[in-house]
Amino acid sequence: MIELYRAAIAGGLLGTVVMTTILRAASELGLTRMDLPFLLGTAVTDNRRRARIYGHLAHFALGLLFAVGYAFVFDATGRAGWAIGMGIGAVHASFVATTLVNVILPIIHSRIGTPETGADEVALLEAPGFMMLNYGRSTFLVTLLGHMAYGATVGWACVNMS
Amino acid sequence: MRHGGYRPLRDYAIIGDGRTAALVASDGTIDWLCLPNFDSPSVFGAVLDTNRGGAFSLQPSVPFTSSRRYLPGSNLLETTFTTDHGRVRLVDAITLPDASLAPLRELARVVDGVEGSVPMEWSASPRFAYGASSGTPGWRGHVPVATCGADAVALMSWDAGSPSWRDGAVGASWTIEKGRRSIVALAATRGEPMIFPARSAIESRLASTERFWNGWSSTRTYDGPWRDEVVRSALALKLMIFAPTGASVAAPTTSLPEEIGGIRNWDYRFCWIRDSAFMIDALLRLGCRAEAQALFWWFMQATALTTPRLQVLYRLDGSPDAAERILPLDGYRGSRPVRIGNGAVAQYQLDLYGDLLETIWLYAKGGEHRLDGDTGTRVAEMADHVCSIWRQPDAGIWEVRDEPRHFTHSKVMCWVALDRAIRLAEEDDVPRAHVSRWKREAAAIVEFVESQCWSEARQSFVQYAGGNTVDASLLMLSLMGYGGERNSRVLATVDAVARDLQRGPFVYRYLNDDGLPGSEGCFLNCSFWLAGALARAGKVADAHALMTDLLSRANDVGLYAEEIEPETGAFLGNFPQALVHLSLIDAALAIGEAEQASQGPKKGKASA
Repeated sequence: MIELYRAAIAGGLLGTVVMTTILRAASELGLTRMDLPFLLGTAVTDNRRRARIYGHLAHFALGLLFAVGYAFVFDATGRAGWAIGMGIGAVHASFVATTLVNVILPIIHSRIGTPETGADEVALLEAPGFMMLNYGRSTFLVTLLGHMAYGATVGWACVNMS
Repeated sequence: MRHGGYRPLRDYAIIGDGRTAALVASDGTIDWLCLPNFDSPSVFGAVLDTNRGGAFSLQPSVPFTSSRRYLPGSNLLETTFTTDHGRVRLVDAITLPDASLAPLRELARVVDGVEGSVPMEWSASPRFAYGASSGTPGWRGHVPVATCGADAVALMSWDAGSPSWRDGAVGASWTIEKGRRSIVALAATRGEPMIFPARSAIESRLASTERFWNGWSSTRTYDGPWRDEVVRSALALKLMIFAPTGASVAAPTTSLPEEIGGIRNWDYRFCWIRDSAFMIDALLRLGCRAEAQALFWWFMQATALTTPRLQVLYRLDGSPDAAERILPLDGYRGSRPVRIGNGAVAQYQLDLYGDLLETIWLYAKGGEHRLDGDTGTRVAEMADHVCSIWRQPDAGIWEVRDEPRHFTHSKVMCWVALDRAIRLAEEDDVPRAHVSRWKREAAAIVEFVESQCWSEARQSFVQYAGGNTVDASLLMLSLMGYGGERNSRVLATVDAVARDLQRGPFVYRYLNDDGLPGSEGCFLNCSFWLAGALARAGKVADAHALMTDLLSRANDVGLYAEEIEPETGAFLGNFPQALVHLSLIDAALAIGEAEQASQGPKKGKASA
């Protein structure tokens, strides 16, 4: 049991590296302007450099945390592997795009504008919009691909490292 | 007045933030802006294609006249529009980032009502990828935005009308009253969510940007003649230094033509080794040690991949790739092709070695820096390389696309390379193992230049071995110390260049065929080289008079393009050009020193 969760955390670390690389490459290729570490970091600081550092730390911490959640599903269903991990990753991506980044993040992120925002005294970050399409038409596909790769890595780790 | 939609090149001023730069016409239109960096694709490129390029205008909607200046000691451009309805003042700047969350790049346009009540209008038509795409126009809340792949711009405005999109352009009209202020700003991003700054943040950054420029210009250590013009040149050069790496663009534009309707249209948004010696010298002598050090280390890093062989130019990030291609744009007033990249990167030019070793020598001596062991070893390797290659023909300083020749200037610069290596070795900055070989080859170069590149008939050095015409690059001989102080052959050559190539205050670089069709104007750097050469030749009054004349030929904000048409004074070529402003500074320093020397002990440079 403990081995499963330990393997999931190791897989979460690897999977976050894979996902971050995919997202960064997509950005460099002009497919999306989504930058999850930047979005996360600017929730706590308006300094660009610090935002990127804090954001990457938060992104990796979340990567480990979510991996524990994946392991919980593997444990509960009694099934694990890269394919089911990829499936959970697809669900995860849809949740991120429709709810987590689109709805919840703007509420807790003081620098992302919401329909209620009216003050003109702080810089505002562009809101992601439905399915994060404000950041580019391919954003959801990139997010989906990144999270499926993450899930596959976690699933593979849970089978081969536990 | 626009000619087919195009303003004269003389009509532009530059604003920037050390990462990118915009050309602003006197009618308040921004016709050139690449985002996010100098060498990125343009978002406003109307100067190269008035229909497809995209522009950002802000001006009265009634007939007006305009005058402008840079705010004192800064790179903030102030344009004053006068109309029958009153006067307004527009301040344009690309703001510098501060501690707050600012857009990746921010262009601020602040309009103040000075007198009366003036109807105004603004319109921005972003065209991404050099005019290839108008992107996707849209809105984020009440802010108009245009997005294209990883790139996006937001056009924000306060008290400047209610913007709306029409045919790929967003704009608004409004009336500004005396004492009121309106702001229009462009916030740009690449690869990250857009940031929409608050009005107060833009005004705060504009103020801190002006403070930065005032502080920077007030600490320049120049007390010679024409201080205002020298400091303006320094401010323009500072705009052309790419802050993230320390490299300097030759000019922030591409393909502004050397002949209207001609094909001599080149991309200057690269860092040329050739400009480096001038740049390091100017930076050190104006007290810009940090910039000089950054540029020096950039050169060491950029050339590391190709050493001991050097490329003519490198990208601003230090990479060697600069492949040339042609864009489907009309070109400035029909001057096609419009090129990006620069084919000169593949040329074989011997003078580069002299330029780089002169740079290293100036840095080591002028900046009182010791070279580290790796740099010293690389200098020695380059000197050895020069010993092996100086006998070969090359494309020369002017990058002629004709057959390779034994250019006099190239041979002299090979001598400069060996001379500086020897001097550095004598100072223990460079390994001494091959000094005797360097001395032997340096003497052989002098023998070649004196026997093959001197014309008894013309009583002058000539453009290339066996030739019979002169070339303005020969003015560099005295600057580089070839032949020693007041060498009779070098002095005679200065006279020959003036006699053959000077038209009024202007100097052509050469008049013979160079393998390309069409003509060109006078290269302004050559004119300033002549002023400097006259000063070094002891003809101080002539140098002073020429300098005064040349300075009167700048545009209304003290800037120069690469070339000028002698008959009309029209600017040609990329604008503003770093080498012209570097040559201006060098000439002012040379004349100042010559005038001072006439009252005290004379200063010399290294000599053969």
